[in-house]
Amino acid sequence: MNTTTLPVRAAPLRTLASTDHKRIAIAAGAVAFAFFLAGGVLALLMRSQLAADGGVVSQNVYDELFTMHGSTMVYLFMVPVALAAGLYFVPLQVGAAEVAGPRVALAGLWLLVGGGLSMWSGFLTSGGAAAASWWGFDPLSDSLHSPGSGMELWIFGVMMATAGQILWAGCVLATALRRRAPGMTLMRMPVFTWSMLVTCLLTVFAFPALILALALLWAQRHFGGVLTGGLGAVNYQQLFWFYGHPVVYVMFFPFVGMVGEVVATFSGRRFFGYSAFIVALLAFAGLSMTVWAHHMFTMGQVTNKYFSLTSTALVVPAGIEYLDLLGTLWRGRLRFTTAFLFALAFIVQFLIGGLTGIIVASPPLDYGLNMSYFVVAHFHYTLFAGSAFGLFAGVYYWFPKLTGALLSERLGRLHFILIAIGANATFFPMFILGSEGMTRRIARYPVSTGWQTLNVVETVGTGVIALSVLLFIVNVVVSLRSRREAGDDPWGGQTLEWATSSPPPRHNFTRLPPIASYAPLLDLREAREGANA
Amino acid sequence: MADTLHAYRHVQGIYFPIAIGVFAVIIAALLVLLVRGARRSRPAAARSQALAFEVAYALLLTGVVAVLLWVTFTAETPLDRTAAHPALQIKVTAAQWSWRIEYPNGATVTAVSTWHPPVALVPTGVEVEIVGTSRDVIHGFWLPQLHFQRQFLPGYVTRFDLRFDTAGLYDGECSVFCGDQHSQMHFQLRAVSPAMFQQWLFSHASRTGTAR
Repeated sequence: MNTTTLPVRAAPLRTLASTDHKRIAIAAGAVAFAFFLAGGVLALLMRSQLAADGGVVSQNVYDELFTMHGSTMVYLFMVPVALAAGLYFVPLQVGAAEVAGPRVALAGLWLLVGGGLSMWSGFLTSGGAAAASWWGFDPLSDSLHSPGSGMELWIFGVMMATAGQILWAGCVLATALRRRAPGMTLMRMPVFTWSMLVTCLLTVFAFPALILALALLWAQRHFGGVLTGGLGAVNYQQLFWFYGHPVVYVMFFPFVGMVGEVVATFSGRRFFGYSAFIVALLAFAGLSMTVWAHHMFTMGQVTNKYFSLTSTALVVPAGIEYLDLLGTLWRGRLRFTTAFLFALAFIVQFLIGGLTGIIVASPPLDYGLNMSYFVVAHFHYTLFAGSAFGLFAGVYYWFPKLTGALLSERLGRLHFILIAIGANATFFPMFILGSEGMTRRIARYPVSTGWQTLNVVETVGTGVIALSVLLFIVNVVVSLRSRREAGDDPWGGQTLEWATSSPPPRHNFTRLPPIASYAPLLDLREAREGANA
Repeated sequence: MADTLHAYRHVQGIYFPIAIGVFAVIIAALLVLLVRGARRSRPAAARSQALAFEVAYALLLTGVVAVLLWVTFTAETPLDRTAAHPALQIKVTAAQWSWRIEYPNGATVTAVSTWHPPVALVPTGVEVEIVGTSRDVIHGFWLPQLHFQRQFLPGYVTRFDLRFDTAGLYDGECSVFCGDQHSQMHFQLRAVSPAMFQQWLFSHASRTGTAR
């Protein structure tokens, strides 16, 4: 097949002005990964501080560290990288030649870069970067309590990055709905494409609320009278969490989709319970728009029981998704590749995050655990030990498609083992510390609490994670230099992206196989085997 | 009766074992699937869906949700209510970065940004109503030993009841990030018998004089 597309190492300038969805997505992924490394450095500093009994940075610098760590990981890494995966693979999986609105998608990339630089440039101002947490919640974030341009740069940065994400979601959504190849009906779209479709719906409906909340915050800072008193604080949080909970699922669904593809491919069988899975995804997305105020149980300003009901009801679609993932392993022939190992760890570790999520969805338990390290442990098990592992499953699975070269499996397995040890050593002790009363966002704690030992364990764990990420970078560099050619389909894939060259040509396909199900390449293989038998 | 400690323990005693049980079942199923799947030389014929099974499974999950919610709601209702006639009402004012605890007779205890705050007393075995507010940003009144917290908002009054069944020292922290000295925003309560409490309150009031 022809390979007129330049490899990933093509001149950066051409990448930054390209309207090829694959180049935009790779650039977005690279930018997001750079922010992941930057946010990770902040995490290392925070962990050093907490292990060393508060001796590393001053209290207000610590406030900047956790604010920028959370902001970077959510606004500049997890959400962009999730949408970038959709930007790359949704057109390929539905057999489209291009993404819908390629220039709009390019604008999204520039908004991400601009927004990220704006947020991070706060560190260069005399007052330092924003320090009012990733929620930026009023009144702590108003001009009286957070004066200075760091906060302003944060507001503009987050607005820009978020606007870009809405644009991306629009492009991916339109591609899935309007650019499908002949024969590719909605109910033949791969699991990953479906997960992106619901992700984009959430993004389009929920993200504008964040832009609105931040616009109101900006107006409050400059003119006052917008978010006033206790109820102003409540109103800001209603708007913020109307974004802030759906965004959690934007950082979850795409990775469930990736894990679904990886599990099906390396089980060598068709995804189990496809239609139930799609219905569960849609129900999950709908419900997840109704749970936002479970972040506000301890404010005493919302109907806790309603939000407890909707949040706990998430058990049903989540349970179906788990059943379908396990069902896909049933009677399969498993190949324990690095991608598959990451997918398995996602299933196990996300489960810990999910089950503890049901616990904090119960107000009587949340009254005791809210704002503590228990909650920090819970959402890091979903976002890092869960979604980031799903992301690495996707990276090891799709890297050959992106570059034409295979990643080293040996380095990959080492990366996997280290990051699994590191993640659990970092985040599991937080459940214990939180139950014992350790509050989040504190720069130091009394030694008499006896919390230091577990904090040291966590910090060592973070170091192991850092080491594993370095190993991953080494793997990428080494594998690109000493190229082991992947060919079109190194894994025995089931979906259309494996029916074209690696990397795919500018317009993705020179010819398409017939599409009669959600696993067209598996259909072909089965037909061939049937003919041979 | 707003007994936060027992409400927490009751709900925890149902939720945590279920969570651990579900985790164990799923891990066991996963291990069986992995061991069998690793031995197979080629995929076995298998159905790609089992709709009736999935519907039954969804109904089972709905039942589990209903049980969890029943446990949660029955435990929550008394926590969200305040007693009509509390034995004692205490005003708590949070600010960057201090707690001011004020008793009906005007006695006050103030803790300013410290890990070793002065101790304020409360009586055991009765409903104590907390009437809380903030002077600036959002703060969180958290007593980890009672497994209970509530946020205090500026310009707004938060009311809730606490019950201290066991005499002893209760550490309190600010749970909501509130700026620079959030880490040091501690307070301390000591629960003593009602008689001792009355005695302390009287002598403390005379020491602090007519508190503002």
